[in-house]
Amino acid sequence: MYLFMFKQFLRTKTCIFGLSIVLLLGLVSILVGKQFLVRQEKAIDEVIEKQAAHIERNLDHHSDDIGLLLYYLKFALVNKATPLAALSIGQSDVHPKVQRVKILTLEGQKYDSDLVNPVKLLYGNLDLGFLIVNVFPLLIIAFTYNLRSEEVESGTWRFVQVMSRSRFRFLFAKLSVRAVLLFSALILLFMLASLILGIPWNDPFFAFLLTAVFYLIFWFVLSYGVVSLGRNSNFNALTLLALWLCLVILLPAALNNFVNTRHPIPEAFSSMIKQRNGYHQKWDTNKRKTLEAFYARYPQFESYGYPPEEGFNWRWYYAMQHLGDEAALETRQLMQEKVALREKISKGWARFVPSLHAQLVLNDLAGTNLSNYTNFLDETDRFHERMRLFFYPKIFSEVNAREINWQEFSPEYVAYNQRIEWQKILLPLLIVTLLLIVVSRRRIQ
Amino acid sequence: MRKGVLLLIARQFLANVFKSKAIYLLIGMMVILLFYAALSGKGYHDQNHFRTEHQEIARKSWEDNPDKHPHRMAHFGTFAFRLKHALSVFDFGIESFTGNAVFLEAHRQNMVNFSEASFSTGLLRFGELSMAMILQTILPLLIFFIGYASIVSDRANGTLKILLTQGASWKEILLGRSLGLFIIACIFILPYLLTLATLLFSEWHDSGGEEWTRFALVTFFYLLYAIILCFVTIIVSAQSQLAKNALVKLLGIWLLLVVLLPKTSQAIGSYFYPSPTKLTFRSAIEEEVIQNGDSHNPNDPFFNSLRDSVLNVHQVKSVEELPFNYGGFIMGQGEKLSAKIYNKHHNRLLINYRNQNSLTNWLSIINPYLALKNISMTLCGTDFESYVDFQKQSENYRYLLAQKMNELQMKYISTGHISGSEGKVHVVNRSEWKAFPDFDYHYPTVVSGLRNEIPSLLSVLGWFLLSILFLFRLSKKAKAL
Repeated sequence: MYLFMFKQFLRTKTCIFGLSIVLLLGLVSILVGKQFLVRQEKAIDEVIEKQAAHIERNLDHHSDDIGLLLYYLKFALVNKATPLAALSIGQSDVHPKVQRVKILTLEGQKYDSDLVNPVKLLYGNLDLGFLIVNVFPLLIIAFTYNLRSEEVESGTWRFVQVMSRSRFRFLFAKLSVRAVLLFSALILLFMLASLILGIPWNDPFFAFLLTAVFYLIFWFVLSYGVVSLGRNSNFNALTLLALWLCLVILLPAALNNFVNTRHPIPEAFSSMIKQRNGYHQKWDTNKRKTLEAFYARYPQFESYGYPPEEGFNWRWYYAMQHLGDEAALETRQLMQEKVALREKISKGWARFVPSLHAQLVLNDLAGTNLSNYTNFLDETDRFHERMRLFFYPKIFSEVNAREINWQEFSPEYVAYNQRIEWQKILLPLLIVTLLLIVVSRRRIQ
Repeated sequence: MRKGVLLLIARQFLANVFKSKAIYLLIGMMVILLFYAALSGKGYHDQNHFRTEHQEIARKSWEDNPDKHPHRMAHFGTFAFRLKHALSVFDFGIESFTGNAVFLEAHRQNMVNFSEASFSTGLLRFGELSMAMILQTILPLLIFFIGYASIVSDRANGTLKILLTQGASWKEILLGRSLGLFIIACIFILPYLLTLATLLFSEWHDSGGEEWTRFALVTFFYLLYAIILCFVTIIVSAQSQLAKNALVKLLGIWLLLVVLLPKTSQAIGSYFYPSPTKLTFRSAIEEEVIQNGDSHNPNDPFFNSLRDSVLNVHQVKSVEELPFNYGGFIMGQGEKLSAKIYNKHHNRLLINYRNQNSLTNWLSIINPYLALKNISMTLCGTDFESYVDFQKQSENYRYLLAQKMNELQMKYISTGHISGSEGKVHVVNRSEWKAFPDFDYHYPTVVSGLRNEIPSLLSVLGWFLLSILFLFRLSKKAKAL
């Protein structure tokens, strides 16, 4: 009986067409992910490759003036991607994975965006995450909307009522045939992805897979709930599509609009201007005052003293540069708080809406979320300060640039360590699904 | 074909639709969505206040500079903030993904930073709820839903046969039903257009009526889109054996054209035209600039021979004897060269992006959804080319600013003071800062925008003509049973 159901379903147009579309798009999505990873690796390799030559070339020109040399030198910090990023590209196509910073004012450097085609961003990435969150539910709808009604409409429902012991078990058997096929397709795609993209079978990978499975179970339960209301195929198809539209298009879009219009970030603009003024206006002011402000922040350098008011001096120059960052500090912090608030609100609401939750969790696991980027910005701050504190005394005491071991300054990495909080990931999906089961059972009875 | 019969059939269709409660529910839903989308659109557009405010702050700090060496001013620089077009309340287009502010200084073309996307969570990728988005994606579903059964069920219950025997022709029935469906579509669309008109009116800027031309075109194309959708619905309904099949076919068309194809084609386009990384792009420019002549290198052969020819022309032996400041002159030449090289590479990059987008643009020939989306973005000033235009204008301004400062240096800084810009001796009067005008952005005209959208325009008109032709052909061979 079960085998027969299987064979019967496999022959239907919906099944053949639906599965082939999903598998085809799945393959495309893995290739898209592969290209994304390769491009990212290329960008990182270029930086590594060029850093030594970049230092060497500038050393040739300016080794006699270390102040001038460090005006030109850029130091690279790389935000390491995990291969999972290829499955859920998230926001990482907007945010650069590499920072190359000079020890000048950082605020003017660190927000430099990547080179991107905005139209490509608009349509978004066709990654496996998109398939899981948007396309698989559609397939579930196509597979199940006429689960019961096709029997009624073709007149076989009466036979079912007579022949099988329980109508529920009959429908459940039909449902499980579809579920087995769909989950097989999903697992197949995950295996292919793991193979092609070199993703290790570690905790994040399984968490990713489990999130997908739980999310799709939610959709099966939802579809089954609608189907078991006993209405006709048209009603089921329209209701389920309307639900899909709400969960996957309208609600997320509405929430995003809300967050972004309610919490605009004009501080980004202010901080940009403040940073520029904080540095540049120092050219017109008293050198001693500038250095006093600088030494107040870094008293360990006070012993280098104050330069004459006339003429150019590197101590004064780097102090001016740093004061640009100090001037923007307050607005920068406001900006960070707002960005964090945006993420907090999004995540808070997402717990109640499985599609949002799934998408955000997939991005979290893949390290392609907003906080991964803000964390990288924080790391850039620390990296920049470390570089400055290392070079300031060298510049201030005018050491010979050749005395510094430049080999040490190869690009540094920020690794993405995340703790996987299983209950935070899976519980919201589980709770919504269970609630749905309770509600639909009550309706049926 | 008789007008009276046509109207009668349309009216009867309307009466039928309004008999069920569903239509009121749908209208209510569309109004709620409209309310939310209009509010969001206004919320986004209101961010222009921040931008004009910051443009003014930036300008003030520019003008407030004391007497200074002009090269200091060239690096003090200024900012350009991108203003949203008045019609962006209707269609957000690529707005959220484009940078909003750029620092303009000498020698350097900075990135346009702080896009909305750079501060957004992953939610942004589900899409945005704008008035245009609702009309483009939700409206087709509503029209399909209301119209899918219109012919096929009447055939099933025999009403069609009665109509035909009473003397109505197939043509009248198909066109009449399409008309009825279109009137309902108008009930959905008109509140949107009225809201847009109200918003435009309340934000009235004296722009010579350009905004209203755009508004009229938006109205025209969205109505045309609705007509196409109505025809397609009626055609599919007339050609199906069962109402269920008509519905499944229409929903399938929607999923394919609206959800799957656009993203896939953009992904494939980007796959086949990979764009360079930022580092590759920047270093290619840097290398070419150095190859051509590095004005910062005192022994650069290009600038040395340039110096010799300048000395020759003026019949002097050293640069200090020239009638102008040589430092300003040489930086002006360097700026000219590097800007030319940058523009060449930037144009190449844009061609690469256009190639990435080309598959999606050409697919709009078979996909009226994409065609309308492209036209709508262009009309609302939120398309790719509008953004490119902003970049171009801001780069132009940057170039003029840098060259103006070089000119001032040539003119006013003593000829003996070639390098170094520190201190209060070699300075230019601050009135010059005010004399240099602020950045003032002008939107490209509608006509120049639409010129980029020929495939989409052809598509919408083509679909309209084809669907009408098909409907007429169908009316000749359709069967009542």
